[in-house]
Amino acid sequence: MSKTNEPNTDETDEERTADTSKVEEANPVEWDEAPNNRKEPTERRVVSHREEKDDAKKIVTGEAKYAADYAREFPNLAEAKIVRSDIAHGVVTDIDTSAAAAMDDVYAVVTPDSPEVPNKPYTSAGQSYPEPSPWDLRVLRRRVRFVGDPIAAVVAEDKDTASKAARKLDVSYEEYDAVFDTAEATKPEAPQIHDPDEVENHQPGADYERNVEANVSGEIGDVDAAFAEAEERDDLTVIETEWETPYQSHCVPEPHTTIAHRDEDNRHHLISSTQVPYHTRRQLSHLFDVPVKDIQVSKPRIGAGFGSKQGMHTEPIAMALAEAADRPVMVETTRREQFHAVRNRRPARVTLRSVVTDDGNLRALDMDAVTNSGAYGPHGMTVSSAVGKKPLPLYTHTPNIRFEATAVHTNLPVAGAFRGYGAPQGHLAVEGHMDEIAHELDLDPIELRSRNVISEGDLDVASGILKDKEYGRRIRSCGLDECIAEGRAAIGWDDIEQPDADHLHRACGMALTIQSSGVPGDELGAAHIKMNEDGSFILQTGAVDIGPGADTVMAQIAAEVLGVPPADVLVQPSDTDISPFDHGAYASSTTYITGQAVKKAAEDARGMLFEFASRMLDEPESALTVEEEAVVSEVTGESVSLEEIGYESMYGDEVRAHVMGDASHCTEESPPPFGAQFVDVTVNEETGEFEIHDMVYAVDCGVALNPDLVEGQVEGAMHMSYELATGDGIVFDEEGQPETLGFRDYDMPTTADQPPMTSIIVETHEPTGPFGAKSVAEIPVNGVPPALSNAVRRAVGVRVGDLPITPEKIKAALDDD
Amino acid sequence: MEIDLTLNDDDVTFEAARSDTLLDVLRDNGYTGAKRGCDTGNCGFCTVIVDGEPVKSCIRPASQLEGADVETIESLGTQDDLGPVQSAFVDNAALQCGFCIPGMIMRSKVLLEETPNPDEAEIRDALSENLCRCTGYEKIIDAVQDASTRMSGEADVAADGGYPDGDDAGCGCGYPDGGCGK
Repeated sequence: MSKTNEPNTDETDEERTADTSKVEEANPVEWDEAPNNRKEPTERRVVSHREEKDDAKKIVTGEAKYAADYAREFPNLAEAKIVRSDIAHGVVTDIDTSAAAAMDDVYAVVTPDSPEVPNKPYTSAGQSYPEPSPWDLRVLRRRVRFVGDPIAAVVAEDKDTASKAARKLDVSYEEYDAVFDTAEATKPEAPQIHDPDEVENHQPGADYERNVEANVSGEIGDVDAAFAEAEERDDLTVIETEWETPYQSHCVPEPHTTIAHRDEDNRHHLISSTQVPYHTRRQLSHLFDVPVKDIQVSKPRIGAGFGSKQGMHTEPIAMALAEAADRPVMVETTRREQFHAVRNRRPARVTLRSVVTDDGNLRALDMDAVTNSGAYGPHGMTVSSAVGKKPLPLYTHTPNIRFEATAVHTNLPVAGAFRGYGAPQGHLAVEGHMDEIAHELDLDPIELRSRNVISEGDLDVASGILKDKEYGRRIRSCGLDECIAEGRAAIGWDDIEQPDADHLHRACGMALTIQSSGVPGDELGAAHIKMNEDGSFILQTGAVDIGPGADTVMAQIAAEVLGVPPADVLVQPSDTDISPFDHGAYASSTTYITGQAVKKAAEDARGMLFEFASRMLDEPESALTVEEEAVVSEVTGESVSLEEIGYESMYGDEVRAHVMGDASHCTEESPPPFGAQFVDVTVNEETGEFEIHDMVYAVDCGVALNPDLVEGQVEGAMHMSYELATGDGIVFDEEGQPETLGFRDYDMPTTADQPPMTSIIVETHEPTGPFGAKSVAEIPVNGVPPALSNAVRRAVGVRVGDLPITPEKIKAALDDD
Repeated sequence: MEIDLTLNDDDVTFEAARSDTLLDVLRDNGYTGAKRGCDTGNCGFCTVIVDGEPVKSCIRPASQLEGADVETIESLGTQDDLGPVQSAFVDNAALQCGFCIPGMIMRSKVLLEETPNPDEAEIRDALSENLCRCTGYEKIIDAVQDASTRMSGEADVAADGGYPDGDDAGCGCGYPDGGCGK
């Protein structure tokens, strides 16, 4: 990942302008689409059908096995308790482990000094190599930087014993001054949280003396000149807005869990709730100085990830404890640890300034984001960058755009990857700001957007704003207009009726949304497929199904190519010993990247099917096609079943060869899905209380390969987006102690308080995606905060730009008016 | 200590420590359908049925279970022969990661036994102690309504689980009825 830190000089600006035609040329509208990738709805046998999720039956019978469910397979399994810092900032001066170690059934107590515990710096971020995150973590820490830093661990016969022993540890600290606010943290007098000499793999712009983890910026055009011009001209308006978002918890259903042991070949085997088995294997190899070949990471069913499992949290401690105790060890985090010691969505403060013409054309956008990394930096630079580079492409036609992001350390919990990856924070600012422009110019907010927004055939340059080279992304599919039209109709934008009571005001708000499909030029997915005698297939991919149904979609893609029902494609869960390589389940990449690898692998296998069928039917391969579990000659109509081919290929007289296929996929393309979020709200102007009547989200994810699963993504993400908009997030006292310790303290909506939702699928065709598909898992999490803030603004005229949006804040703003 | 109870219609005796909860005992004895999500009774992933009532097994001390009648997800249908609530969850795509689903199904089962034809508000009220982070609850509510219909015998259910008939016949994928094989 590259980026610029230096301010753009006039010279580079000139280069950018001059090179635009080269970027246009390098990204032609035409795309050489694979044959049979574009199928009319009636031609699709398996894709875009509501196929049953392949693990559905074992989930409803309780037989689906998650990491902790494997515990019973290890009769001598020990369990662990992690001992965490009680203070926000300081150093552990002494740990007396003697009382704990002397307890019956305690197998080991480890501290940073234990030989089994590596003392190398690393990052927990499960990213490509080398990770674009600072190596600032140690498995266990003497120097502690937030309440929750792991300082020791106990492994014992069972969890209760481990917990009792953990309480017997006598820990002494020297406490340091702590800082909890990003603005305070960058001041010269603020306590310094990291020693730069103790951190490796510094990220761009790092300035640890000011607690800055990373600082990146980029510019297109000349923003200062645009603002200077606006000062001179009456027909240009300058608008400035500020936005703020809190810590949000993933609330993953399954707490992070790892079982680590040595297998019968004396290799390290981990069964772990991870989104990134391959990155984890590589990172453990580096951290423990163990060859990659001696580590196996198996992914069982996963109780959801949402980004929280895009990294190593329990794996290193589990592996160290298994060595220390010389037996299998399970580390299962508690819900309390989930809330404050694992990972969260980073808080952000964003300011946005714009120059706009009287008729609503954007001339300049100047965006500045300061995010709170908390104590360590996994995903800090990349998520902070995404705050701008994800949403800004909506308005890539703006001739002058500048974006700067700063990730700042504080003594609060560690931020990480979280569904949306910075985009929700950025969308609140960008889409809230658009409504402020519309209000200022007295334009309809949809009309304002329509004048400026990106559309099909356009070149997006804004997503490359932080790159140090010319970059463009051709938009080959964009259904925004239809998303807006369908969402507008569904929410009733044009026929809102005001309530009879004078103090109640009803209005709709909206926001546009955008994401990507994988990290361009970075991610690699691979697949291998092999046929059984009966014409069924076993598909091995590194696609990491963490709940959304990736395995099902992979089976559908292969089945579409091979002419079989999806139930005849058995997908093996990701396992580093078995599956082809994959970067993992993140960045909205699985369907788009790994799905394309699966399609190519299936086509490869189909080539072998045709070779056999050609001999068996005495027909040229060019005359053959697949349908109904058979290869058919389009000339004669004669067919041979896949089962016949299966037996012939394995036991036949002429040629024996296993029908298999394999493929990899990596691409510079990352087509954005699009969507329009609408919220219909009534606000009580006397109390600030509000009621949401409906939340409508219309999404363009290309061809929806499984509409049931797409709707599930949209509805689940809207739920999270609503909670980000209205929930308190995670709160702390003035000592940095978390006050949100469990679900009881956290505003996660239940069936009783989740407002109604409507999801709409708008089909487009993305020529670079498998059967026309783009991503969908992250994008719907971006829309509710700006759409609700905009709806409240339109209902009662006040803006709540700092989340959460609460009756108290609305009331206070109304009182100020 | 030893605890005698009825588990899924069988008389069983479990060994338990004094500090064990019902969830500990179930999972230690291979009944892992109930999931551990919080250990504080706030997520509902561990919901089982005790003496006809939905119970969060992570906060029910095992010592209180002597003579109790306990039903877990393992007592419902098999993958080859799903019960009506289970098949409604499958057919309505009312699950994603699945970690909350066994508890959600047990809670729904009690609701439908007590209130065979609940309206949406009743369903939302009854399920409000069972969290789900993946679905936004929309399809779960649909599934419980569908299960209610199935249990009332008002709908034909395809042998394979199939899609329920309704106003929107077919599976809604844009094909003519049956065109996609559903």
